[in-house]
Amino acid sequence: MKKIGPQLQTLTSRLANTPVDFLDEPRIGSVGRLVVAALVNDAFKKYGHQLSIDELRLFEGVDQATDRNRLKLVSLAVWLLNDAWFAQVDLQSSELLTFLNASITQLAESTKANKCVEDSDRREEFARYFLARLDYRPEGESEAQAKDRLSALSSTERQRLLDESRDAEKRAREIRQALARKAAEQSADKWTRE
Amino acid sequence: MTSYFDPERYPTLSDEGAEMLRYLTEHPNAPIYRDESGNRLTAADLDELKALERKLTTENIDWAVSQHPSWLEQFLEYVYREVPYYRAQGTAPAFRHIQSISRAHLSADIAAFVPDDIPIERMINFRTTGTSGNPLLLASHPRVAATYLLFHQRALRRFGVELEVGANHVGVVLVGHQTRCFTYVSVTPMLGESGLAKINLHPNDWRHPDDRTIYLDALNPEVYTGDPLTFNELKKLPLTTRPKALISVGMMMSAGMRADLEAHFNAPVLDIYSLNEAGPIAVFDNELDGHLLLQTHLYVEILDSQGNTVEPGIRGEITLSGGFNFCLPLVRYRTGDYAALVDSPEGPVLKELSGRAPVRYQLENGEWINNIDVTHALRPIPLAQFGLHQNKDKSLVLYLAPSSMTHHQRCLEALKHVFGNLVINVKQIEKEDKILQYTSDLIEGFIQ
Repeated sequence: MKKIGPQLQTLTSRLANTPVDFLDEPRIGSVGRLVVAALVNDAFKKYGHQLSIDELRLFEGVDQATDRNRLKLVSLAVWLLNDAWFAQVDLQSSELLTFLNASITQLAESTKANKCVEDSDRREEFARYFLARLDYRPEGESEAQAKDRLSALSSTERQRLLDESRDAEKRAREIRQALARKAAEQSADKWTRE
Repeated sequence: MTSYFDPERYPTLSDEGAEMLRYLTEHPNAPIYRDESGNRLTAADLDELKALERKLTTENIDWAVSQHPSWLEQFLEYVYREVPYYRAQGTAPAFRHIQSISRAHLSADIAAFVPDDIPIERMINFRTTGTSGNPLLLASHPRVAATYLLFHQRALRRFGVELEVGANHVGVVLVGHQTRCFTYVSVTPMLGESGLAKINLHPNDWRHPDDRTIYLDALNPEVYTGDPLTFNELKKLPLTTRPKALISVGMMMSAGMRADLEAHFNAPVLDIYSLNEAGPIAVFDNELDGHLLLQTHLYVEILDSQGNTVEPGIRGEITLSGGFNFCLPLVRYRTGDYAALVDSPEGPVLKELSGRAPVRYQLENGEWINNIDVTHALRPIPLAQFGLHQNKDKSLVLYLAPSSMTHHQRCLEALKHVFGNLVINVKQIEKEDKILQYTSDLIEGFIQ
């Protein structure tokens, strides 16, 4: 976070206006249309880098369960990299590859790509995460401020998980209550009763 | 007339359907209907069911004993995303490495197995009779309950039976024979509101015992459904009408009894292997000498006690994945029932299916009662597992799981209402495995 990046608003607005092409289902096996490896290849070319076939294969999914969300996040990251602001900076191949592969994989464990577009908090989280992992901070913020805010977002992330956990408990309670209520209402017709 | 219109129980009821409800209820020889149910199907539900019906007419099972179904991968992706129990485990492992689950898992917390994308508002439950141990309260939906019919029709067509459409006749009578039985009337919208009655043959539910014959002859249903014990009682009535078919679920049906019933009723008797957890799974086919699977989106494996898939033709525990109950998608669910699985030209077949054998017990006065009466008597008591055995001298032994021994006094009190002064000893179940729940030393206790 030593380097000054674009205004945060630039990135969050860009995320909110992600074109449908970048939101397409990533190609995994025979499913999906968006070839994420091709997007990554184009992004590297803009910086004058060439990835090997093996490196590009990191962005070809093999398993819907493990790769879908990760590849969707990668395509969002490439969409941010396409912002005009990044055309003026020099990003090294290794740091770009580490970011798009390792950092995004880590993020994918806790963050859903769709929410990074649809939800304002998650847009900010994704934008800050994106900048920090490329060693930038938002314009107008000191390093300390940016770190504090990122720490706060880490708390936010923890809070989100807690909230999700609470929501899950609430839903489970509601399901049990609903089933208990319907037990009194004697269910619905079946032609046989086991 | 207007009292039969109930937008919750019968959202699409027509005048003709209401007339059928009135006929079933107000017939001079009708039983005392003690409960209420309803199809609860909306117009949108019926559209979806029609679409599913069309799909099922052309769709066949696309897997074989040693080959996974085409839909399995996508199904697992959905389950590991939407079902809390599986999502908590992270990424789905290879199918063969997924840990199987049992009734105990569902009993412990059914909510963890309900997908997050299923609305709660219209959820209903199927309560099992607990014939194999743990009582279960399963999440379901009116559309799921209605889908049973589609698989019954699939089975009936194999026997050349087509159901009629229209509110001018009774489609089905569900027969019970217990001292206390859940009874109601309804109509089946998918069959043009043909009549449906769930009755109890026990004389307690009738103003006069002879009313049973008069009423059932008047209804003249296309199909009777029940179990071997209840059909044995139905057979005793001097009915002059004959159904197109009988459908037996919930208990093992011996070949001898099936032949006897088919001769008596002059109609095919369909022995359907069906579970509350998965609906109608398979129908017995004489030519295939086994139960032919019915559901296109239910994958059946046979596992050994270590959870490994056995070789084709080797007996093991029937284990289910998929199913049509979208409130409770199953992943490697061990049923507690046993069979071998083999391929046939018509699809996979369960051979030598066994699990639940019908048993009846003799009272002091010589009268016989159904094992379901025992299930019902003990149902209010939170028993993890129990079994009941009758000795030759009519005395009984109640087997309880170690964790249930604290309830033994309540059990004895409940059973006293059923068995009067017969001696009942209590013993602890030593093995953790599923036990044969109802057994008897009296030869007449088993209906052959």
